[in-house]
Amino acid sequence: MSENRRRDPRREWIARNRLHPEHASVLAALGEIGGGAAASEWLGPNGVIRRNPRAIGFIGPNGVKRIDRSGAQQGGQAAGGTRQAAQDSRRQVTIEAPAFLVAVVPDLSGGRLSGHDKDLLGLARRLADADPERPGAVLAVVFGEHKEDSFGEAGIDRLLHLADDAYAGFAPEARLAALAAVERELAPRHWLLPDSPLGGADLGRRLALRLGERPATGVWQLEPDVGSPLGWRCTARGAAESLDIQRPLPRVALALAECAEPVDETRHAAVPLSLAEAIPSALSRIEDLGQVAVDPAGVALAEAEFIVSGGNGVKDWDGFHYAARVLGATEGASRVAVDDGFMARHRQVGATGTWVTARVYLAVGISGAIQHLQGIQSCDKVVAINLDPGCDMIKRADLAVIGDSAAILAALVAKVEQQRGGQRDAA
Amino acid sequence: MRPEQQGVEVAVLVSVGRHPITGRARRADQDARGLELALGLGHQLPGSRVSLLHAGVLDEASEASLRGYLGMGLETLTLLEQTEGADAIPALAEHLAAAPPQLVITGARAERGEGSGLLPYALAERLGWPLVSGLAAVETVENGVATLLQALPRGQRRRLKVRLPAILTVDAAAPAPRQSAFGPARRAELEVTPVAAEPDRELAQWRLAPARKRPKRLKIVKAASARDRFKAAAAKAEGGSGQVLEGVSAEQGAEAIYKLLKEEGVLPR
Amino acid sequence: MLNTILPILIFAALALAAVGAGRRVRLWRQGRPSPVPLLKGLAALPRRYLVDLHHVVARDKVMSNTHVATAGGFVAAAVLMILVHGLGLANPVLGALLLAASACMFVGSLFVARRRRDPPARLSRGPWMRLPKSLMAFSLGVFLITLPTVGILPPDAGSWILALVLAAVVVWGLAEMVVGMTWGGPMKHAFAGALHLAFHRRPERFSSKAGGEGRSTGLKALDLENEATPLGVETPSDFTWNQLLGFDACVQCGRCEAVCPAFAAGQPLNPKKLIQDMVVGLAGGSDAGYAGSPYPGKPVGEHHGNPHGPIVARQGTALVDAETLWSCTTCRACVEECPMMIEHVDAIVDMRRHLTLEHGNTPGKGAEVLDNLIATDNPGGFDPGSRLHWAADLNLPRMADLGQVDVLLWLGDGAFDMRNQRTLRALVKVLRAAEVDFAVLGDEERDSGDVARRLGDEATFQSLARRNIATLSRYRFQRIVTCDPHSFHVLGNEYSELGGHYAVQHHSTFIAELYDAGRLAFSPWKGGSVTYHDPCYLGRYNGEYEAPRRVLEALGIQVAEMERSGFRSRCCGGGGGAPIIDIPGERRIPDMRMNDVKETGAELVAVGCPQCTAMLEGVVDASAEVRDIAELVADALVARPAAAAPRRSADKTTAEEVI
Repeated sequence: MSENRRRDPRREWIARNRLHPEHASVLAALGEIGGGAAASEWLGPNGVIRRNPRAIGFIGPNGVKRIDRSGAQQGGQAAGGTRQAAQDSRRQVTIEAPAFLVAVVPDLSGGRLSGHDKDLLGLARRLADADPERPGAVLAVVFGEHKEDSFGEAGIDRLLHLADDAYAGFAPEARLAALAAVERELAPRHWLLPDSPLGGADLGRRLALRLGERPATGVWQLEPDVGSPLGWRCTARGAAESLDIQRPLPRVALALAECAEPVDETRHAAVPLSLAEAIPSALSRIEDLGQVAVDPAGVALAEAEFIVSGGNGVKDWDGFHYAARVLGATEGASRVAVDDGFMARHRQVGATGTWVTARVYLAVGISGAIQHLQGIQSCDKVVAINLDPGCDMIKRADLAVIGDSAAILAALVAKVEQQRGGQRDAA
Repeated sequence: MRPEQQGVEVAVLVSVGRHPITGRARRADQDARGLELALGLGHQLPGSRVSLLHAGVLDEASEASLRGYLGMGLETLTLLEQTEGADAIPALAEHLAAAPPQLVITGARAERGEGSGLLPYALAERLGWPLVSGLAAVETVENGVATLLQALPRGQRRRLKVRLPAILTVDAAAPAPRQSAFGPARRAELEVTPVAAEPDRELAQWRLAPARKRPKRLKIVKAASARDRFKAAAAKAEGGSGQVLEGVSAEQGAEAIYKLLKEEGVLPR
Repeated sequence: MLNTILPILIFAALALAAVGAGRRVRLWRQGRPSPVPLLKGLAALPRRYLVDLHHVVARDKVMSNTHVATAGGFVAAAVLMILVHGLGLANPVLGALLLAASACMFVGSLFVARRRRDPPARLSRGPWMRLPKSLMAFSLGVFLITLPTVGILPPDAGSWILALVLAAVVVWGLAEMVVGMTWGGPMKHAFAGALHLAFHRRPERFSSKAGGEGRSTGLKALDLENEATPLGVETPSDFTWNQLLGFDACVQCGRCEAVCPAFAAGQPLNPKKLIQDMVVGLAGGSDAGYAGSPYPGKPVGEHHGNPHGPIVARQGTALVDAETLWSCTTCRACVEECPMMIEHVDAIVDMRRHLTLEHGNTPGKGAEVLDNLIATDNPGGFDPGSRLHWAADLNLPRMADLGQVDVLLWLGDGAFDMRNQRTLRALVKVLRAAEVDFAVLGDEERDSGDVARRLGDEATFQSLARRNIATLSRYRFQRIVTCDPHSFHVLGNEYSELGGHYAVQHHSTFIAELYDAGRLAFSPWKGGSVTYHDPCYLGRYNGEYEAPRRVLEALGIQVAEMERSGFRSRCCGGGGGAPIIDIPGERRIPDMRMNDVKETGAELVAVGCPQCTAMLEGVVDASAEVRDIAELVADALVARPAAAAPRRSADKTTAEEVI
């Protein structure tokens, strides 16, 4: 949305003139633009003016409610004002002549910087800004098309965008050739990649071996260390997450999510950069034939990160399956649902079934037998839909909705579909 | 079975695993999945030969866990015997180069030692073979080209073609390994070849310690004013655990759930 | 004329029977060797038959009397016939005895015929339907040919046609009763059964004159040191010869079928059919000739085998399908009911051993559970260091700190289960109230190996057992008390073969003892009606039916017994790894058991086993609450009246030191 608000003097005049026949509708329209504030006065059905004293006024810049009787300022403008203020709080940083480069290759999964990418950029900033006298610059190498427009906010000083089709999909050989070219031309002091499966984990290891470096993998902590060649010491996870390895930071490091706080106080230039030399095209022995559609229901329960689980209280199983499909969730079931033949045995969650580790577990019509609750112990967020407010699942749940599961699921499905449809239209 | 499909030579690299809770030696999960994939491939393409390869120390614990792989239905395992702390990469590369198989399958990373997952990449770099990571299935092998399915997050799959010989790594998305049977494991043979090995000096200098629990990241609220901070704190308390919505309409309930799903980022884009 | 034909017929029949016996013995000897004391076994035969076997048969009074008349009459008639007609000792006294014997047998055969008129589903049909007629032919024929001997009829009475007819009847009788005994047919059970009793694989399960009821329920260990020992049973010839003999003794009475919980639940198991399949495998051929109830959902005639062919095929079908073997809950109801003393559970576990140890094919979550047992010493894969987390506030005394106590409290894997932790808490409360000097092993305890063994993983069982035995050998204690009957059985009955000999008690037994010693006092029961479910591993495996009832009585509870209780108790479905394997059926075993509970009208069912608790509590919309005996006792505890205080003040001080 554009930041320049267009003024409509006629509408403002009507808004001030309480006797104007369009006064109420104009106020409502202004209110909508301003972010949902309701009209404070309108003409009632019997011709009497109705007033809502709570709707009068607006929130001032310091969060205090202000009432301006002059009508010069309507509440709506405040929202735009605070957004402006939030953006202004970031300090603009421009590094003209960097002492060195910290190269970051974000995953950019789905065309946007992921949380992992942002954490990694935060880490890159720590490396770059360690010495205020001789600041380094963070260089991001971005492959393929992207939808990201806040590279600067994420802490990127230089942006190398390689949009060639050759880098689309799974193209490790082409990407590696490009990174090798970057190494030749720009020689960054550090290479940072996210240690994420199929993204940086793969590319980073290839890059390290191409550069003849022994990379640090699974890095999650970084400390200055004068004795190390690059001046840093890192702590990395090893041996299937069971070991912490402390070693000098090598040139190539693959870091875990939450390795550092993402940048949130500064805005960087994200100056586009291009390579002088053409990147030699690599002979590809791996050909990407594209993605294959897979049913989320086929995902193993133990690995699923979002499970919709049905129990005794589910009466409309078709609706349940449909909801799981729309939500893109893996289906689970309570023992009873399995015994009654509504779900396959390998879908059973609980001490006697599968122990699940989902991030979100949506329990539909499951009262929460003790065996079942044991099976979902390590789930982050449990959402329960149930008719019985006294059942054990409700006590366990982070969010519980009491009501008819079929209706709530249907409403949820409608909501998701509507949202998705809207996004598609916008795109 | 199409006639042009012929058997392939598959070497599976296996390591001594470590149980995540008790730390006992076991067959490593990912390597076992790799072997399962290879055995399935052997079943799919008659005439295929699956061989097992391990480089490392031979002692009681490692033998027991290596026999765990043999119990999945193989008769021999080639063991390149090295001293403790030696670098396995040169030995394996040499062995593979001497009698190159068409496919090398291995787990993405080891459960002991550095466990950096570098080994397959190092072998690929040394042998000059292509490498595909995160494998879920091998669909066909025809005329020196394998068609593979690579696992993407959320159970999605990507189809790839790769020219053989190649190195494939598997992680948790590959088929679960079959049970290891005691009888075949006990009968199978370990073919031990001692190899000269360089100690991994770099690793020896690093400080290794049992993994510390990583601190959970707190939601840090950056707010310009006291009011915003207060609002953020109050909202947190209100949205905390154990919120029960009773007597709300289905739409309101769905709205609340939708908000949570959105916050957690589990809804597909 | 008959006088000349009869001896020829009789001796020809005996000769044929002897040839058949030789062939039958050769079939059995295909099995692996198993040393038995031949003469001692034969000497013990009459007692085993008349006491132990009859004890089982006599549970059905009519059938018992029928069998006494028929079998007794036949044995007497056969011996006398050889003397009178075979050897020509035409003594009128012998003749009269022979008449009496055959008449007795005839009366018995009438009852057999009556039962066969509308036989219950558990009985096999086919050749068995002609048995009453054959019995009548034999008894009537012998009766008639003996009439002249006694002088009631003149020797030359009747025409030669009549003589021929009579001879034909006698031939029929002899063919079925004597030749059929060894060549196959219904009477095979007499020959094989007698030898089976004499050479039984578990001689210790029979009673002895010295007293003692005789019980042998522990599985036999595999010799894993010797690599030549087959790991379980792959082909019928991998059974020991006396096991094969036992299968051959089956009378197809179907009592096992009638009590089998898996069969009742519609799972593909029928113990009778399984034994008959083993007989098919022993002789070679197909199961098409089987005339009883099939495995539920599996038509007869599709399976076939031979003595050296696989019982379970790796692919396709062979003699038995794997899910048949995995349906068993090892509840031993079939073994308890079998009048021929056949050991079904041993056979099933033997075959499971092969599937697990050689095929590596434990279905369901079996493989995962076994991997967990190997890696973490408990089936759930929990951190072995968290075994006592539930008791963090109880400050339980540890064996490692004390070294010597009266009672070692064995917690079992229920320590990881939130439901069972309530039972354990209750039990600890009871022990403290009675001031018992006890301690727990804590993190040193491992799974007893019960599940691993029933799933056929003998290697893991022995590994767990040996390590547990090594741990226990470091400490001194009078006895082990546990609230898990599975641990109780394994520690008490199966560790001894590996060198661990312990006095083990179920908590109900121990509580009953404490109560009788006046160390516990209870407030009167105020709840509703209560029934008691006998856990298989406590009752049938260890013969403890009384102590739990004694405890309930002490609590002031009148137990409303279920129809199937005591030694006939129906399994909860939780044994033998059955819930882990989870073979689908038409019903669930625990649902059936809770229906049994419902029929008594009880509001509460008392149990004494964590498995039973979990299974029965898993029943949806159950009519009764499930509580462990320990919980009931803990709830009813009141301070002991001063007068009843024990005179063991010394004990009290040690207990206080401990706590």
